[in-house]
Amino acid sequence: MKTILLRMGELFLKGENRSFFENTLVNNIKLKLSGLKYKLEKTRGRLLITEFDDCDELVCRLKKVFGLYSLSIADELLAEVDEILNYFKKIDVYNKTFKIDVNRADKTFPINSMEMAARIGEVVLKQNAKARVELYKPDLLFCVDIRSNGKAYVYHEVIKCQGGLPLSTSGKALLLLSGGIDSPVAGYMMAKRGLRLEAIHFHSYPYTSPEAKQKVLTLAKKLSEYIDEIKVHCISFTKIQEEIHSKCAPEFMITLMRRIMMRISERVAKKNNLGAIITGESLGQVASQTMQSMTVTEQVVMDLPIFRPCVGLDKEDIIKIAKDIDTFETSILPYEDCCTVFLPKNPIIKPKISKVLNQEKMLDIESLVNEALEGEEIISIVNEN
Amino acid sequence: MIYLDNAATTAMSEIAIEEYKKYAQDFFFNPSATYIQSVEISNILNEGREKLKKILGVKKGDIIFTSGATESNNLAIRGSVREGKWEYVFSAGEHPSVYNIAKEMMREGKIVKFVPLLKSGEVDYFSLSKVLNDKTRLVSCMYVNNVTGVINDVNKISKIVREKSPSALLHVDGVQAFCKIPFNLQQTDVDLFSLSAHKFNGPKGVGALYVKNKSGLKNIVFGGGQEYGLRSGTENVPGIMSMVKVAEQVDIKKNYEKVFKLKDCFLQKMKVLPDVKIVGGITSPYILLIIFPGVNGETLVRVIEKDVVVGRGSACSSKKAGNYVLENMGIPINQLKGAIRISFNPNLSESEVKQAAEIIIKGYNALLEKLK
Repeated sequence: MKTILLRMGELFLKGENRSFFENTLVNNIKLKLSGLKYKLEKTRGRLLITEFDDCDELVCRLKKVFGLYSLSIADELLAEVDEILNYFKKIDVYNKTFKIDVNRADKTFPINSMEMAARIGEVVLKQNAKARVELYKPDLLFCVDIRSNGKAYVYHEVIKCQGGLPLSTSGKALLLLSGGIDSPVAGYMMAKRGLRLEAIHFHSYPYTSPEAKQKVLTLAKKLSEYIDEIKVHCISFTKIQEEIHSKCAPEFMITLMRRIMMRISERVAKKNNLGAIITGESLGQVASQTMQSMTVTEQVVMDLPIFRPCVGLDKEDIIKIAKDIDTFETSILPYEDCCTVFLPKNPIIKPKISKVLNQEKMLDIESLVNEALEGEEIISIVNEN
Repeated sequence: MIYLDNAATTAMSEIAIEEYKKYAQDFFFNPSATYIQSVEISNILNEGREKLKKILGVKKGDIIFTSGATESNNLAIRGSVREGKWEYVFSAGEHPSVYNIAKEMMREGKIVKFVPLLKSGEVDYFSLSKVLNDKTRLVSCMYVNNVTGVINDVNKISKIVREKSPSALLHVDGVQAFCKIPFNLQQTDVDLFSLSAHKFNGPKGVGALYVKNKSGLKNIVFGGGQEYGLRSGTENVPGIMSMVKVAEQVDIKKNYEKVFKLKDCFLQKMKVLPDVKIVGGITSPYILLIIFPGVNGETLVRVIEKDVVVGRGSACSSKKAGNYVLENMGIPINQLKGAIRISFNPNLSESEVKQAAEIIIKGYNALLEKLK
């Protein structure tokens, strides 16, 4: 019988909470596979999927489930010596080199792993006189996993999955989604650590185009392939930018914008019971991402942690992840986001809090924040799977 | 909403829709089939070819129906390419459907030469005469520029080509000229001429290529051998017949005079903004490119879009940063940002055009105020 063997990532590290993590993972898998025919079974250390029709679609979806480390498509046998040897009598290795790799998780199995591998190899060689054993770079690999549920599984390949922790096990957070390369990557990285996401997007119509907003929604849709659904809170930042532009020193534009964005984000996060704010900032990448800028920016967030998973990554590393999760091509579409409107020629890169506070005195921040929140538009994006 | 982006596309006229419906519902037969109904459709298509030739003012040559100007341009240029060290000459202001073919040909290792533009936006005729020689295989130059509306002197270009490269083919992208500018190809010795229906109130997805001598052209797609073997694929009969009907009905001269007045009306209104700059020398009355200093044209377009719809140069390329046509005219990059394109249609009234101008002026002033 064909079986998909699912291996759970670092869940084995969990002590008494392990069942909470495993149950959440099982629920997440069920959600991800909805609409498909299959049977899911929990065994010690593995999840098993049987009785399925569309193996390719199952694998494709399972590869996007956080908390799964890898999977294999296997033939299920009874964990008995003769049964396994009989299975290999029917295997034709076409005169190629091969390797047998036996893992005996069930220590009650009468023969140890090395000896079982040797006996299987003997059977294969008997059937295929020209075949040869090759331990380092074999043409064909046969892995035999003997489990304590009385079954053995034979497979050729270990398909890597996302790893990380099951969605929801760490709670829920708010991602600042700009439309650039970094923020979707930041969202993905934190979702991988078990966070469900909502996103907040600031736009500056008519200075930014409707296509810029559409681009963000496309990115959110791509993220939804991993996190099933995502609510995007769209906030108009036009008036705030116009106010800063007309009343404050131009070099403080970015710093003031970021501080107001953070204030609005914290308000949205709290209202929606979101436990953290996530940004795509990477240290030193642009003026607003220096250590000093980050210090000044995060001072306005009173009660929530700010997660910056890209902070220590090079742009090339971020791009690699963006390509892996298929957000890169969308992120580089040439639509201006609101950070590039009213961009000063020489933004301040090491802002001092006293000077920033002086600039903020020119603005009625509370009214601006309230007005922006009143115009909030919420768009829910659900993964079509 | 007042629509002033007619160089991007136009609404189908009632006549166009009626004719389209007729051939989509009642006379839907495949012109390549052998029964009597199909033969009749084939004959009607051939009559359509003759009608288009008449409008173009030519007696010789053939009309190849295509899916639009991009395909016509591809067929004209790609179909003219020959093995050997031939040279291909393009004006630097061509539409992307020509310009990008030229760039691709360069990548393929063909000898491609671009002729610069004058500050007026016309092709530099003197430079053109200098690059031509007996190795020139094809010259491609548009009639009316889609971004600026600048009219190239196609008669002059034709004379230069015949004098310097008698064996070269001359292709003219006439998309913004056909059914808009009065001209007669009989007096202008052109080998290939592209046109597109949706620019003159016809349907989208249909166009044509006039070919003076079919033997000089090779097909670029393969299939059932329709359109003299030069454009395989079942003809879009409803689209073609709709296009022919509209083209037949257009009073080009009367419309030209009306649109000329509309443009003048608009320009009179614009006089309250002395700093705006009108781009181009001799231009078509259908197209007007204006640079609004101190603002981003894209933002201005959005500020007014609920009341007036205008374009940014070329709908086919406006989403990409920069505009090579304007850059090749020597317009500084900081000015390029403020460009918007107004394009007219004879169906507009003077009061609509005046109202649109007022809305644009108001939007521009409001935007300038915010950006101070």
